[in-house]
Amino acid sequence: MKHPDDERATRAWLLLTAGTLATWGLGAAGLAGPWLAAAVLTIAVAKGRLLVLDFMELRGAPRVWRVVLEGWLLLVGALVLIAYAIGLK
Amino acid sequence: MQYPSQAVAKPYFIAALGLFVAQILFGLIMGLQYVVGDFLFPHIPFNVARMVHTNALIVWLLMGFMGATYYLVPEEAETELHSPRLARALFWIFLVAAALTVVGYLAVPYATLAQITGNELLPTMGREFLEQPTITKIGIVVVALGFLYNVTLTVLKGRKTAISSVLLLGLWGLALLFLFAFYNPHNLVRDKFYWWFVVHLWVEGVWELILAAILGYVLIRITGVDREVIDKWIYVIITLALVTGLIGTGHHFFWIGTPEYWQLWGSVFSALEPVPFFAMTLFAFNMVRKRRRQHPNKAATLWALGTGVMAFLGAGVWGFLHTLAPVNYYTHGTQITAAHGHMAFYGAYVMVVLTIISYAMPQMRGRAANSDAAQTVEMWGFWLMTVSMVLITLFLTGAGILQVWLQRVSADPQPFMAVQDQIALFYWMREWAGVAFLVGLVVYLASFFVGGRKEAAA
Amino acid sequence: MNANALSPSPAADGVRRLPGDLAIWVFILAEMAAFAVFFAAYAFARAGNVELFDAAQETLDRGAGLANTLLLVTGGWFAAKAVHAARRDRIAAAGRALWLALACGAGFLAVKAMEYADKFAAGVSLSTNTFYLFYFSLTFFHFLHVVLGMAILAILLVRLRGGAYGSHGVLGLETGTAYWHMVDLLWIVLFPLVYVMR
Repeated sequence: MKHPDDERATRAWLLLTAGTLATWGLGAAGLAGPWLAAAVLTIAVAKGRLLVLDFMELRGAPRVWRVVLEGWLLLVGALVLIAYAIGLK
Repeated sequence: MQYPSQAVAKPYFIAALGLFVAQILFGLIMGLQYVVGDFLFPHIPFNVARMVHTNALIVWLLMGFMGATYYLVPEEAETELHSPRLARALFWIFLVAAALTVVGYLAVPYATLAQITGNELLPTMGREFLEQPTITKIGIVVVALGFLYNVTLTVLKGRKTAISSVLLLGLWGLALLFLFAFYNPHNLVRDKFYWWFVVHLWVEGVWELILAAILGYVLIRITGVDREVIDKWIYVIITLALVTGLIGTGHHFFWIGTPEYWQLWGSVFSALEPVPFFAMTLFAFNMVRKRRRQHPNKAATLWALGTGVMAFLGAGVWGFLHTLAPVNYYTHGTQITAAHGHMAFYGAYVMVVLTIISYAMPQMRGRAANSDAAQTVEMWGFWLMTVSMVLITLFLTGAGILQVWLQRVSADPQPFMAVQDQIALFYWMREWAGVAFLVGLVVYLASFFVGGRKEAAA
Repeated sequence: MNANALSPSPAADGVRRLPGDLAIWVFILAEMAAFAVFFAAYAFARAGNVELFDAAQETLDRGAGLANTLLLVTGGWFAAKAVHAARRDRIAAAGRALWLALACGAGFLAVKAMEYADKFAAGVSLSTNTFYLFYFSLTFFHFLHVVLGMAILAILLVRLRGGAYGSHGVLGLETGTAYWHMVDLLWIVLFPLVYVMR
């Protein structure tokens, strides 16, 4: 018998694994530059969000907690991107 | 007051307040010397006034911590103090040693004092805040060991609570870290490195544990909130304090000749030192909001809330202001540091000692709380001192910003003394705010002598 | 009363609630703030030394980073399964899941230790250059969090055996695994940032 919580967690695990492989693949392919940076950061934020919602189970938590943790992901992603852009020049 | 032996706290509190007055008077003297350089020269030179100002602060806070411990440990452990006689004896030893040390500072030149007290046998003098003659330092260790022996045995024979455990952890840490005061390597970098083990790890480490324990105790008593809830908060706060504070020591190692990685570690961890103080503010306000009884001692509640807010502002916000290495590169050792030091010491440690005094003194004088009239006067004292301290901090911050600009940032940097002349206005304003602080202190002390209708005995 | 109603997953019965104890979330937020500062410091330090960072990054073992990410993600999955199983009183299954999560953590530590050993053998240290200063500081700080997370998982396992968790309540289990998930979350950001982005 599969419980819906378990199914969600398993789906999250599969997606997290896929995202991890994709990130690694992009790096292993020898890519570099702003598109790579944007791509791996987007994947990281998406992975983090899945983890927050389905592993930490904040999907069912008061909204403020979701906002705080997802906001953290976006904030870190944004800061890293800004720094990356500064490094381009 | 449930246990007669708690009363040994009383002389500690009275002596603490006496030294508080001395600290403020010498603060005013040196504040004036900032702008009138030869004031009281040669009788009380600036370096002596400064030494008395800072050492009196440290000693009276230690007295306050000891008094707080003697007061709250029997109640937490639900047993009498192991030896009230030892506690009273240590009080007199400590007080006499402190008085003799201050007399030594004032009566003879510092170098002579070092000679008289045999500093060359075990040189420990001459370092900021640790100026005490070696013999005084040994005395401090003896008093601390006797004190710890006394309270540890009390806790061991009675009930063990989170509050008493955290308090003991803080006090033992305080005593053990003080041993670094005896380590005085020739290499100046190493000397400074270990010097911070006392100075930083006291005020940004173990003292925070003592602060959290005292605040937690008072909040349990005045709000009636479940111990479980308070304990959990205390554990979170002390974990955060230790994680950020221990490695946060690195913010003192930026420019003293230590390896470069301290700039990263010190910046990152000390940038988070406001977090435990913020948690403490939330803690105090949450507990008071959830209170299950209306304690008649409103003044103590005000002090407890004030501690939360002012500690966060002074230690947290003003500390963060100049803790990042790239910022500190410019602000190091300027009036910004003085601004932070004043508000942090007042907001965190002065206020928590005044909180426990405000709560415990009426009980030791046989009543749950002072009369409304006395409490009103006490709260006037609170506001006068707190607002004055905010002003002192703001004026020193202004002085500091100007100093950083004129002396270090501008395209045409000026020498130190030339800059000091230009920020004299800020020093004058700081001195007047200091006078207001003294007025607040007098009002506060007067509240102990205000009578009026007494509340029922505790 | 329905046993499931006593320890439901958050919002299972339409009531939104924070899994675990509030205190752990305060702590988690503080930890995440610390890492956010660290990540931003890394990114901005890189902006000033792009060539140095890109060259030094080449010396990292990206395969080890991949293996470690997969280990942590899988460890998180097992921890989540442990909570779900305990809620339905499948204590044996929950215990197995916690063991597997611990095994993933141990694997992570082993891989990381090998990476460190490689670097030290090559004579690289904290003081070699700014990249390695950040690399060692960040990953070692995270390494310590994995150790702490595993200690928490071990405590959970002992308490689970003692019958502390089940349909009557899993608060402690949620509290401890929340911390473990945070360790995972931090690595999810760290891996692309330090090992891949260039």
